[in-house]
Amino acid sequence: MNEENLKFVIVGHIDHGKSTLIGRLLYDTGSLPEGKIEEIKEICESLGKDIEFGYVMDHLEEERDQGITIDTAQIFFSTKKRRYVIIDAPGHVEFLRNMITGASQAEAAVLIVDADEGVKEQTKRHAYILGMLGLNQVIVVVNKMDLVNYDKQRFDAVKEELLRFLSEIRITPSYIIPISAKEGDFVARKTSSMDWYDGPTVLEALDTFETRKSARDEPLRFVVQDVYNFDKRIVAGRVESGVIREGEKIRILPSGEETRVKTVEEYLKDVHEAEAGKSTGITTEDKLFIDRGDVIVHSDAGDKPVVTDRIRANLFWMDRTPFKKGEGIRFRCATQEVACEIERINTVINSSTLELIGEDTGEIRNREVADVTIRTDAPVVVENFNKIQELGRFVLGRGDTCAGGIITELEGEK
Amino acid sequence: MIVVLAIDALEYDLVEAFGCDNLKQKFYGKTDISEFSEPRTMVLWNSFMTGENREKEVLALGDKEMWNIKLDIKDTFFARFENPKILDLPGFNYDKEQHELERGMLKEFFTAVGDEEKAEIRKKYNSHAFEHHRRIKKEFADALSGDYDFVLGYFSAADVIGHLNFGNRALMKMIYRDMDEIAAGIDDTLIVLSDHGMERIGMFGDHSDHGFWSTGFKDLGNPRITDFAGIIMEISEVE
Repeated sequence: MNEENLKFVIVGHIDHGKSTLIGRLLYDTGSLPEGKIEEIKEICESLGKDIEFGYVMDHLEEERDQGITIDTAQIFFSTKKRRYVIIDAPGHVEFLRNMITGASQAEAAVLIVDADEGVKEQTKRHAYILGMLGLNQVIVVVNKMDLVNYDKQRFDAVKEELLRFLSEIRITPSYIIPISAKEGDFVARKTSSMDWYDGPTVLEALDTFETRKSARDEPLRFVVQDVYNFDKRIVAGRVESGVIREGEKIRILPSGEETRVKTVEEYLKDVHEAEAGKSTGITTEDKLFIDRGDVIVHSDAGDKPVVTDRIRANLFWMDRTPFKKGEGIRFRCATQEVACEIERINTVINSSTLELIGEDTGEIRNREVADVTIRTDAPVVVENFNKIQELGRFVLGRGDTCAGGIITELEGEK
Repeated sequence: MIVVLAIDALEYDLVEAFGCDNLKQKFYGKTDISEFSEPRTMVLWNSFMTGENREKEVLALGDKEMWNIKLDIKDTFFARFENPKILDLPGFNYDKEQHELERGMLKEFFTAVGDEEKAEIRKKYNSHAFEHHRRIKKEFADALSGDYDFVLGYFSAADVIGHLNFGNRALMKMIYRDMDEIAAGIDDTLIVLSDHGMERIGMFGDHSDHGFWSTGFKDLGNPRITDFAGIIMEISEVE
């Protein structure tokens, strides 16, 4: 089996069967703790009904709450090809927040739609977020086919409606699969229930996806989290991309000052470099002013982030209190946090109907998507989302996070 | 037809947490049972049926004897319907043997010493409660298709199972979702009502100091359980 994990998220309307699909995937791949499914089956039978896989997650959470086993924020299962991690996102707010803050980076997505109910607003909203985040490995599953008697015409109708919407937001799903998570049709196994469908099962489709390329080969971006003064001065941070090595000439942004890496520090280990994904510490040859939020890059690299106070971005507003132009708000990107204002709300659109709500407007409401121009109170180190995602995504917050966004264009380079 | 889904110990907070939209209907809230010294099942359902606070009379019978109360229909608001059907309501026509057996097993559980013995009793207790639940579900479904002008189904699983298992949220969720499905299947004027709720004490559950109500037609605010006799009769006159 390939050692690489593929992380994916299941999104869609709350009642369209996400929990049931997760339960079914875990059951069909033999990933449940021993006796768990029997326990659920027994209670379902006690209540006079068939087993409901949607309760699997509840029972796993119950064990977690009792400190027994499982981390349900990330759920694991394996196929013959590789290991999978399902990132659990109860709703679009959590999903977007996790993706934007980098807490959990999905490499693929399963968009679930109820065959009976069809495409709902929430389906479109979640699809929009997938598009905004540039997720291009997407499987659409049309679930609950058992409720529509495995009817091909119904499947085709849902498929057509969804494809129309997805094409407007430039998502081309890799697969569209009719399934019944409840009955287990075309999740892990092909059944005779839909002989008109000759495509892959959900697991077969997932197995064709590629894991994200390691960010090791990309330009160095070392994001400073803190500076500690012990017997030596350690700059602690996370290597978001590239590799940082002893002796290398580095530049600190936004100040632009340069020095060399003296040592790479890891507790009780003798190391000389740290690569993408690693949280580590470094010491420098010169004692420069370095602070949380700074970004360290290689001095001689041609491809550097932009230091600017003006950013053009797409953002998804996810707070009940609307944003009103003129309101001060906090901009957070990697470990940087500064006050900012939205200088211009260029356009606002409805994330489920894609209807244009306004141009050069004064307000962004809950679940609306806006193309905005942001001016930060101090220069920030950022990049276009298409180039280096870690410095191309940000959140806006009052106390809590109110919006997540991606940088689409950088103006006024300093 | 007016239908009352009378659910013992249905807890407001769990109805919210488990997203039981059918139990919530359009208007829902907590009932005020602060006039009672303790949230006792028999006292509360007696007060519901009669529209009067019956705490004094019920408690006067003592802890054991109160469970033998069987009110005459003439003493309840049910008598004002032409053809009512009441299923298993404590203090009216509940299956005393069933409830005595459950209470007996509960006592047995708390006096048992070993974990294995406790687990065995818990299993037997739950199984017994579920079996009763299935029976009431069936009788309730039959009643809904019958020629009645008033149907009240009393469901005790949330209370009975809850006493020993309230700390097991997954199990409680399955019971609440089942009750929610029952509510979803009712097309007539529906009132959902509990005597009291339940609060967690470790793995167990004890009665909480408020009940739950919901309707699809009127916001009742913070009603007392004794208000429902009048509310139901008012609807029946309109209907």
